[in-house]
Amino acid sequence: MLTIKNLRASIEDKEILKGINLEVKPGEVHAIMGPNGSGKSTLSSVIAGREDYEVTAGEMNFLGQDLSELDPEERAHAGIFLSFQYPVEIPGVSVTNFLKTAINESRKAKGLEPMPAKDMLKAMKEKMALLEIDRSFLSRSINEGFSGGEKKRNEIFQMAMLEPKLAILDETDSGLDIDALRIVANGVNKLKSQDNAVVVITHYQRLLDHITPDFVHVLLNGQIVKSGDKNLALELEEKGYDWIKKEQAPIG
Amino acid sequence: MDLNGQILESKSQLLQTANGHDQIQDLRTKAMQVFENEGFPTIKHEEWKYTSLVPILRKNYSLTASAGKVSKEEVEKYSLKTDSYRLVFVDGGFSEEHSDLENAPFTFLTLSNALGSKEEALNLFGKIAPIEDQAFVALNTAFAHQGSFLHIPKGTRVEKPIELLYFTSKAQNEAPFFQIRNLILAEQASETQIYERHQNLGESAALSNVVTEIKVERDAIYDHYKVQNDQRDTALVDNTWVEQAENSFASVDTFSLGGRFVRNNLSFLQRGEHCESKMYGITMIGENQLVDHHTLVDHKVPNCQSNQLYKGIYTDNAKGVFNGKVYVHSEAQKTNAFQQNDNVLLDDLASLDTKPQLEIFADDVKCSHGCTIGQLDEDAMFYLKSRGIRDKEARAMLLYAFCMDALAGVKLEELKSKLKSVLAKKLGVELDFDL
Amino acid sequence: MAEMAEEDKVLNEVTQSEYKYGFYTNIESDRVPIGLNEDTIRRISAKKNEPEWLLTWRLEAYKRWQEMEEPDWANVDYPKPDFQAITYYAAPKQKKKLESLDDLDPEMKETFDKLGISLDEQKRLAGVAVDVVMDSVSVATTFKKKLGELGIIFCSISEAVQEHPELVKKYLGKVVPPSDNFYAALNSAVFTDGSFCYIPKGVRCPMELSTYFRINEAGTGQFERTLVIAEESSYVSYLEGCTAPMRDENQLHAAVVELIAMDDAEIKYSTVQNWYPGNKEGKGGVYNFVTKRGLCHTRSKISWTQVETGSAVTWKYPSCILKGDHSVGEFYSVAVTNNYQQADTGTKMIHIGKNTKSTIISKGICAGHSNGSYRGLVKMGKKAENARNFSQCDSLLMGNSCGSHTFPYIEIDNKTAKVEHEATTSKIGEDQIFYCNQRGIPTEEAIALIVNGYCKEVLNQLPMEFAVEAQKLLAVSLEGSVG
Repeated sequence: MLTIKNLRASIEDKEILKGINLEVKPGEVHAIMGPNGSGKSTLSSVIAGREDYEVTAGEMNFLGQDLSELDPEERAHAGIFLSFQYPVEIPGVSVTNFLKTAINESRKAKGLEPMPAKDMLKAMKEKMALLEIDRSFLSRSINEGFSGGEKKRNEIFQMAMLEPKLAILDETDSGLDIDALRIVANGVNKLKSQDNAVVVITHYQRLLDHITPDFVHVLLNGQIVKSGDKNLALELEEKGYDWIKKEQAPIG
Repeated sequence: MDLNGQILESKSQLLQTANGHDQIQDLRTKAMQVFENEGFPTIKHEEWKYTSLVPILRKNYSLTASAGKVSKEEVEKYSLKTDSYRLVFVDGGFSEEHSDLENAPFTFLTLSNALGSKEEALNLFGKIAPIEDQAFVALNTAFAHQGSFLHIPKGTRVEKPIELLYFTSKAQNEAPFFQIRNLILAEQASETQIYERHQNLGESAALSNVVTEIKVERDAIYDHYKVQNDQRDTALVDNTWVEQAENSFASVDTFSLGGRFVRNNLSFLQRGEHCESKMYGITMIGENQLVDHHTLVDHKVPNCQSNQLYKGIYTDNAKGVFNGKVYVHSEAQKTNAFQQNDNVLLDDLASLDTKPQLEIFADDVKCSHGCTIGQLDEDAMFYLKSRGIRDKEARAMLLYAFCMDALAGVKLEELKSKLKSVLAKKLGVELDFDL
Repeated sequence: MAEMAEEDKVLNEVTQSEYKYGFYTNIESDRVPIGLNEDTIRRISAKKNEPEWLLTWRLEAYKRWQEMEEPDWANVDYPKPDFQAITYYAAPKQKKKLESLDDLDPEMKETFDKLGISLDEQKRLAGVAVDVVMDSVSVATTFKKKLGELGIIFCSISEAVQEHPELVKKYLGKVVPPSDNFYAALNSAVFTDGSFCYIPKGVRCPMELSTYFRINEAGTGQFERTLVIAEESSYVSYLEGCTAPMRDENQLHAAVVELIAMDDAEIKYSTVQNWYPGNKEGKGGVYNFVTKRGLCHTRSKISWTQVETGSAVTWKYPSCILKGDHSVGEFYSVAVTNNYQQADTGTKMIHIGKNTKSTIISKGICAGHSNGSYRGLVKMGKKAENARNFSQCDSLLMGNSCGSHTFPYIEIDNKTAKVEHEATTSKIGEDQIFYCNQRGIPTEEAIALIVNGYCKEVLNQLPMEFAVEAQKLLAVSLEGSVG
């Protein structure tokens, strides 16, 4: 589904990603872990197509398409969803209006008619129930005045509505209390299928207790230095990152 | 005959007295022409819409007042109670006797001396304050021969505040008209604090037209405090123009607590990136008093900041005016400009006209202004009273709290406590607000 | 840097779009000779078969106008119109007096259809009665009958002069006297038509009343006069739409609108103004110099809502005189300027009565080489005990060649007054656009979405049908590729 080969990217001439290799197949859950500043969020931004970052080398292929040729919205239409670490506020634009626009733009790109209002409302109700979201939420301006937890829940709600093939959850657990974490994780698990994939970017094991990864990758200084199964995450939780850094030292 | 007529009548004599270096003679003549063409502004002039000069101009002024004397006690009374460099002027003339410049790490010259010889002064005079559409600056530029030139050399940190004290002596029994010009050059990476005060010790209805041009070079830090608490017949038109180079900080705080008529034209010209301008003020006036603040921040380069905070409390039939203008040129991206003007009217006859104005030509900027007019919070009043605080004290406490933000930037502790006690006195209470 | 250029390009694209309503209807027109003098006025008056008092009133206004100078204090810059080069009266020539809409000239009907105000449809749609003023005269008023049953008078002002002279005489010029300003004086002298609306005591007008103004003939000026009177405890919501075809020379529009809200009455006045703004180089376009003012009696309320996207030059300050105690004034405005448009608009809230309250929400959006100014006055007089005002003036700049200006005048003569004024300037954040992009929304669409969100507080004030139209208009004004 997603194949990343030797990806290098920089911002303002400072190289952040220094040769990333990653292969994500349908039905898989990948966790990318790493300390602050290791390049986790850069990776998600580069996959989503944020223009602040310059891709200097390597390739990204998504379902047979070269991502570098696609604008951010085209990547979204292709099925990439990024749950933002810091979702932005858009005053005056209601959640409903925003979602309606987003869904219908994606449909337009696929040559489909806009979704009938009735169907959309039905889908919204379903997904809201799934994420235990109150109805009043729909008419609020997007992310404006939302608490940290509401913002993250709103991200997953949008994901549920847009039904992406690949969901990248960037630090979705930060700012969530234990109940919200459970609800969000539960939502993600319910939406998971054999056809889609999830990449969880996180600092801590916490979220991985709820969303079980098939693969865990450690990102350090712009490179994936170690990969393993879910036990690697537990090991990291216990020992921190220092032992991997040490392990890397002789090579680097 | 009004002041305009009096000036035109004696213009050749005034021009002669002004004198100065050849280099500035042309400028003086030109300024005089500008003044003659434009005259004093009327309320039809947008910048004078709310402030009529008519009552000020119609007096019979003495344009060439001879210098009187002031006592040591009088000087002490109006100066900071602290170690300082002190420059005292009496009726426009420099008083060596009362001044104290011992071991000063900067150069001081009287304006006339400076304009006679000093290159730096000649390079500053008329370079920052424009004469077009600025009748008072034009008039001052044409005739001013009294005032100060201060030169703070590169890298110099002036440890003690510099006091600029302009007294009108008791000897003046008519209405004297003073034109004072200050030229201040704060060179690269210097640090300066100025305390400026104009005080009339007698009963005369003095009018001062003061123009101060301040050049703040790169990396310099410059603080200027103006305390305006003059006797009830005095009028002051203060024109202060500050030009800032990159990475400099300049602040002018204005505390307007007295006088009959005060007009402050305060302008900051930002000419280097990453500079910051601050203008804070407190106005607290009462019977027959008028204070008018006109500010301008001209953002011409990117990445700069400006901060304005003016608080006003008006009692009796006092009249307040605030006109803040923030101008952001299209080149001045990433400008951060903030302006706030809060006011309380306490009596039926008090009035206020305010116009916080923004003119923005760059898109990536953060500019905001806010303006409020209101009364004391009744809930807060009730809360204080329910704790046994009497009405007057409760009121004073809340008003004091209202002003406090604007006092926050005062770095001179002596000045801060002096202002606090003046404010307390004006609020009619004996409270120690430091508690 | 490549990124910046790209962004500029997108901004450019989305802010460019040709004027949609720029078509010219080829209808034979009945014009009075060009130029302005007493004769012109006598001719207009005679053509309209006016009573003597009105002619006298006009001539008096003309005399005052001659003594006045065109105002130059606004933040707009334009070649002054040549008042002698304007046609002051241009009525579409009709074969006979219209009995019903079906008799309407087919070509004129087509014009209305192009404007999207198909009268046939409007008629069927519940709720909107339309009075269409094309160039200078009112050509059709729908729903008259139904309104008549309630005692509501809704007709052209010319008709009102004939049918209800006592009402017109009583109120005309009472809120905006002929000597009020240069354009008001001009309008008083030469006004050719406009709408008249009278809501009797205690009546709540069951439908939105709507007027559509249109300048069609080349070189004409439109000087319409609108008078709305809401008697005690009545309510009316009034809508006004404006378009003009694309023309190279500047066309002048100097209207006067007077509202009178008697005790406990409420008037809601909404405008969507889309006069031709000129082309991308700033050539042509309408000069829109309008005086709008409402007078509020005790406990009454006047609410102005405007969406201003058109005109080359706009000079307009819908105001409220809050004379009665407990009266309320509101002003909600969206003003979009693009290319070389200039708009100087805002409001005046004059608090005279006790416990009067006003709210001002102004949203300015500037793009291209345009300049947008908010100019407002909040005045609280000596007797206006406990008067309240809240003002919020925001501006959004798109690109770096436009200018946004805020001139709020606040004049307070009463210690019990409470005024809160806030203003901000901002731009559309790149992170907001990226967020939308990531959800599959293209940049142009994202800008439209964000701008509409930014204007929401104002758009919410419009009646539903108008809000939809206004939203589309915003999109058209700002988004070439999408609209």
